[in-house]
Amino acid sequence: MAALILPAGLLVVLLMVAPMLFLARISLNHFSPTELMVEAMSAENYLRAVQDPYYRAVLLTTLAVALGCTLLCLVLGFPTAYWLARMQSRWKSLATILILFPLLVGNVVRSAGWIALLGNDGAINAALQGLHLISAPLPLLYNAFAVVVGIVAVVLPYMILTLSAVIEGIPRQTEEAAANLGARPLTAFRRVVLPLALPGVAAGSVLVFILCMNAYATPVLLGGPQFKMMAPAVYDQFVRGNNWPFGAALAFILLAATMVLTVVGSALIGRRYRR
Amino acid sequence: MTITRRQALSGGAAALATLTAGLPGVARAADGRVVVGTWGGDYGNLLRQNIDEPIVQPKGIEVLQDVANADPRKTKLLAERQTRRGTFDVACLSDTDMYLIQQQNALQTLDMGKLSRAEQIIPALKKPYAIPHIYSALVLLYNPDKVTTKPTAFADMWDPKYKGRVGFSDILYNTNTLAAALAGGGSVHDYKPAEKMLMELRKLDAKVYPSNEALAAALKSEEVWLTPMWLARGFMWKQGGIPVRHVVPKEGAYSIVFEAAIPKNARNTENAYTYLDAMLDAKAQTGFARQMGYLPTVKDAKLDPDLAQEISLTEEEESRLVTPDYEYLQKNLNGILDFWNKQFKA
Repeated sequence: MAALILPAGLLVVLLMVAPMLFLARISLNHFSPTELMVEAMSAENYLRAVQDPYYRAVLLTTLAVALGCTLLCLVLGFPTAYWLARMQSRWKSLATILILFPLLVGNVVRSAGWIALLGNDGAINAALQGLHLISAPLPLLYNAFAVVVGIVAVVLPYMILTLSAVIEGIPRQTEEAAANLGARPLTAFRRVVLPLALPGVAAGSVLVFILCMNAYATPVLLGGPQFKMMAPAVYDQFVRGNNWPFGAALAFILLAATMVLTVVGSALIGRRYRR
Repeated sequence: MTITRRQALSGGAAALATLTAGLPGVARAADGRVVVGTWGGDYGNLLRQNIDEPIVQPKGIEVLQDVANADPRKTKLLAERQTRRGTFDVACLSDTDMYLIQQQNALQTLDMGKLSRAEQIIPALKKPYAIPHIYSALVLLYNPDKVTTKPTAFADMWDPKYKGRVGFSDILYNTNTLAAALAGGGSVHDYKPAEKMLMELRKLDAKVYPSNEALAAALKSEEVWLTPMWLARGFMWKQGGIPVRHVVPKEGAYSIVFEAAIPKNARNTENAYTYLDAMLDAKAQTGFARQMGYLPTVKDAKLDPDLAQEISLTEEEESRLVTPDYEYLQKNLNGILDFWNKQFKA
């Protein structure tokens, strides 16, 4: 039976583990502007990334955006997921497709749409100015707001579909039993549905959190030059600065932060679930 | 219908053949083609119209454009420099980038004897490792309706009158920093004065836009009145109805040359020479000047007087041309980018 995982396993080793090891080796090298990369075995790149307040701020921004987007997705996604899970009509598959709709368009194209909507001469500002509600355009684009809106629009379907799959597995009768025993709908939700849906909350949040931590196109296109998240910072080092060692170190710091928070987060939710 | 094992295998083989057909070198011998690493957009289109179709393809050479921005192309050239067979036969880059790649030992030294047009190259633009294709100079663009006294220097961007009206394109961090250095008494050999100048400009609420296109939109909506920019691009923007004029700043006109070279691991070196020669064709060069506003790099390419007036430098302006200090830039580019990102933009 173990042989069944061999093809996929080999592919992962070949296409992921090997390049990662290679990248880990690069992250220990030394950067020189004239020779680009000099063989070395030092932690200088990691130390520099941790000590530099700029990169600490970039990491914090990334964490804040990822956590914020995850929470927002939970709050926005749960009601929709519940509605979808409890849907009986023949429109259910259509509703699922509609929820998946944002994923049919590439990130870059979608961002172009947001730019047309949020820009200084974009649709929203033009409408507000046309109605004489504002005199100068509102700064809607090239800031954290635009990035959060852009990312949530991408990752929300993942949250909804993960949650709804789990909610579907919760028998309707549990809610009816709660109502029968006098629980109001909100109490039934809080004490019955939500605890039973926690594995879905955990899975959805982890998925969304990881996607947000590694977001690239949306922060670059909607965040503008002043707003930096980790993935674009890594790209900058590799491609604009030609500083592969430092870029590799940043990539591993991003990976470590994502992994630690994912593990801690799921462990916390898991503990509540067992109680 | 059931699929037998044999059918599945032959289907798989056909699929593999289809997949590898597009990959040069995997399953096909490399001949009769030239792979050109270039920018897309106007530049790529003009290469196709002026060089690929009229000159190179009639010689029986198939031209494949590998379209990307400069940064990914540089990264590819650097990543591939140890490999035996590279992606590109011809790589197009700006002079500064080309120098960096050449320093990494990734480019062939050109045999000028193989280029029938080598004699015509403007002497100041000649390099052993690349041919110059087009060039332009860094100028100050301004909106003539808003900036009523014609500016004369980059230093005019620091006039408090224009608070909040100076804009920069983020991708041009290097030339923006140079403009600030020149305004602060620095030179191509010393960008240090830019730091103080840029921080002052930050207090004056200078704006940074993510791309040249975003900056163009801001110039068009008159959000921004002043910006340092390549003369050629200013010309294109003016053609596109953006309200700008240009002035060659008195601190100096920094030149940019777009060059083409042959990587050491090119697979079709002979075809690459044919391509470089075609890039130096006088007619092809005037085509670029007409559409993109870049100046020809060969002596026998003559521009129409009306066009020349728009994009050429006067003799007096030409005397102010300064070429980059490639070595200084290579050593300091990382620091310049760091300052731009961490201090100026933060």
